Amino acid sequence: MKRRAGTMELVGGAMVASLVVVAILAPWLAPHNPIRAVAPTFGNPAPPSWAFPMGTDELGRDVLSRVIYGARISLTVGVAAMAITMTIGVAIGLAAGFFGGKVDFVLMRFTDVMLTLPGLLLAMAFVSVLRPSLLSILLVIGIVSWTGIARVVRAEALSMAQRDFVLGARALGASPARLIVRHVLPNVMPIIIVMAALGTSGTLLLDASLSFLGLGVPPPTPSWGRMIEGATMYFRVAPWLATFPGLAIFYAVLAFNLLGYGVLRRRSA
Amino acid sequence: MTCARPKLARQSAALLATSMLAAVAIAFAVSGCSRGRDGLDLPKGASVLHLADADDVPTLDPAAGYDTLSWTFEQEIFDTLVRYGDADIELHPDIALSWESSPDATVFTFHLRRDARFSNGRPVVADDFRYEIERVLNPATRSKGIEYFRSIAGAADYIAGRTRHVGGIVIPDTYTIVFHLAAPDPLFAHKLAMPFAAAVPREVVKRWGSDFSRHVVGSGPFMLKQWLGGERIVLVKNPYYFIKGVPRVDAVVDQIGVSQELGWLKFEAGQIDILGGIPPAEFPYVMKTPRLRRLTLRQTTVSTMYLGMNCQMAPFDDVRVRRALNYAIDKEKLIAILNGRGVVAHGVLPPNLPGYDPNLRGYAYDPARARRLLEEAKIGPDFHPTLWLRADPTTVILAESIQQDLELVGIHLDLKPVAWGPLLEAIRQPRNVELFLSGWEADFPDPENFLGVLLSREQWGGNNDSFYSNPRVDELLAEAAPMTDLKRRYELYDEAEKIVVADAPWVFLFHPVSYVIRQPWVHGLVLNPMRPMRFERIWLSPHRE
Repeated sequence: MKRRAGTMELVGGAMVASLVVVAILAPWLAPHNPIRAVAPTFGNPAPPSWAFPMGTDELGRDVLSRVIYGARISLTVGVAAMAITMTIGVAIGLAAGFFGGKVDFVLMRFTDVMLTLPGLLLAMAFVSVLRPSLLSILLVIGIVSWTGIARVVRAEALSMAQRDFVLGARALGASPARLIVRHVLPNVMPIIIVMAALGTSGTLLLDASLSFLGLGVPPPTPSWGRMIEGATMYFRVAPWLATFPGLAIFYAVLAFNLLGYGVLRRRSA
Repeated sequence: MTCARPKLARQSAALLATSMLAAVAIAFAVSGCSRGRDGLDLPKGASVLHLADADDVPTLDPAAGYDTLSWTFEQEIFDTLVRYGDADIELHPDIALSWESSPDATVFTFHLRRDARFSNGRPVVADDFRYEIERVLNPATRSKGIEYFRSIAGAADYIAGRTRHVGGIVIPDTYTIVFHLAAPDPLFAHKLAMPFAAAVPREVVKRWGSDFSRHVVGSGPFMLKQWLGGERIVLVKNPYYFIKGVPRVDAVVDQIGVSQELGWLKFEAGQIDILGGIPPAEFPYVMKTPRLRRLTLRQTTVSTMYLGMNCQMAPFDDVRVRRALNYAIDKEKLIAILNGRGVVAHGVLPPNLPGYDPNLRGYAYDPARARRLLEEAKIGPDFHPTLWLRADPTTVILAESIQQDLELVGIHLDLKPVAWGPLLEAIRQPRNVELFLSGWEADFPDPENFLGVLLSREQWGGNNDSFYSNPRVDELLAEAAPMTDLKRRYELYDEAEKIVVADAPWVFLFHPVSYVIRQPWVHGLVLNPMRPMRFERIWLSPHRE
């Protein structure tokens, strides 16, 4: 059991690492400029060929180069939005779990209210108001996805707050801030890391959905979701336009899920 | 009328629903579910023409409609005094059997046919035309057609509420109507060919008030049978129509909410008889397949698509920057993206408009020259203008192509796709939108309908969305408007157009070419370059439903 779990996180970690490498080295890996026309296939996308392994799109751009560059946007959004999600979720979860009582009640009811709102719709509303840009996408994804993390962290913090070492530290006169930062947080950290890895795949998907709905990072920046959106019109005649970015999203989500579940399994094993 | 992208427009909101609807459509097709005639009470064996549209019809009230879809149905339900031919842009008799104008183009007399009846059986008389024009002129109606009838003598007094009738509209007998104009207008008869001037029965409007649009009664070949908002619109034969044997089909059923892609699937399944918008992605396939290619009809529209530049906003107040954009944008590429469905624009006027100047050269694609002009105008490397456009997938692709082109000359274009209504509102505000994609389709075949409506100083805040003004152009337009000598008239307009092209308030992009595809059993369909297709002469040979 333990062995298999190790394989899982190893594979996931390698996949994530490969994504990071592709994103960082995009300018060297991509055979063409992703936003320039490199083949005169205007209005008539060309299928995969030796020169263009993933074909070219309706604006004559190389799909392979766009998928490679798309990794940058997806990873940036996925990871940065996850950082924002974590910050909000961990702060609320720790405060609720540690202080309990009224603080817990107010924060958790607020979380419940946020949970009742469909994330995608809420995100669409926020993005429409803020205008789509890299920063607004990050913030919006962070704002709508912290609830699950807050609940998990709260549950952990609640049990931590009753442990002997925390009670001991409190008896020695440690301030609440010190108790949280030095005693509770380090002990809920493993679960936070797992949640972060699993959550990243969620934010990746949310980013792709927003892009698909035309609310993602604005063009010409290549992003996987937007590539699929653009390809819907050509779906029947040029399925490769949607397939390759779709596979890329699949790969990235799988990578973070394997990593997250791998770590989780080893922890619980 | 303003056109988004005629026949190619598609609502992006429909995008999500498309795949689900397509799945449902396929399921229906597979299960052999027939389309049924629920609640229509059409006799067995009735010949029914099936159409589909993405959007609901905005209105059927001829005083209100000013868009392609509304006019499609209004021109079937209502008659005007004169109308364009099925395939040409010449004036033909409709309710008026004959007409004459005074040599100075200030008095127009129309003699009406006596056998025309509304679909409720009442004869059409001259007063029905006066009633509708007065309804359009009445400010309470808020009709967009009001501009076209202001030139009638006494219109100003009527609009101000000082008179009961427009003094310049005289009805000497039941079947004659005379228009006296305050200033010469050689095009006046053309303005009467718009649905704004259709015969409308006063008693029906009185009965339904603002709900008239849902209960229209007219004298045209068809009458409204059913309009289920957002679902379908059904027209049936007007039994009183004055041409016997017309219309040739018993009913027209237009299904609403069918996106372009779904429309194509339904056409392939034989559920739609005529399809206006072939999806861009399918178009090359249609053209490569002889069986399908034979079923298409092609028509160059009398319209111009352009990229407007706000001449009052820096740096677009500098003519060198505006010219640079004209040189920088590859129009051939835009047409390639539309699979050849367009003709490169060299100026304002479309090629099939009378008065078009074939010698006008415009701006060739020349990025090097564009770069030089931008350098002269001292445009720095971090210039990030924003282009507003309609959020429809095809328009977005065109905008991305423009974005690519401008990147090559060092302009980093940001795109702002918005809905059609808000876009029109935004570009009308002064100093608000620096760049926008728009288009104009002719209402009547004269250069005035482009140059005067879109580029004169008096249309600031109206239709002159690039806030362009050149006193010399205004002078020429004022001189040309009342001119009855067509040769001289067109010379003046051509001179004005040359100045406009040199001043470059727009990037002149292209004139769209529209394609329609119909089933092999559809006969008698012809396209008009300036008006939606008409249904009354279409007939269907026997086919499996």
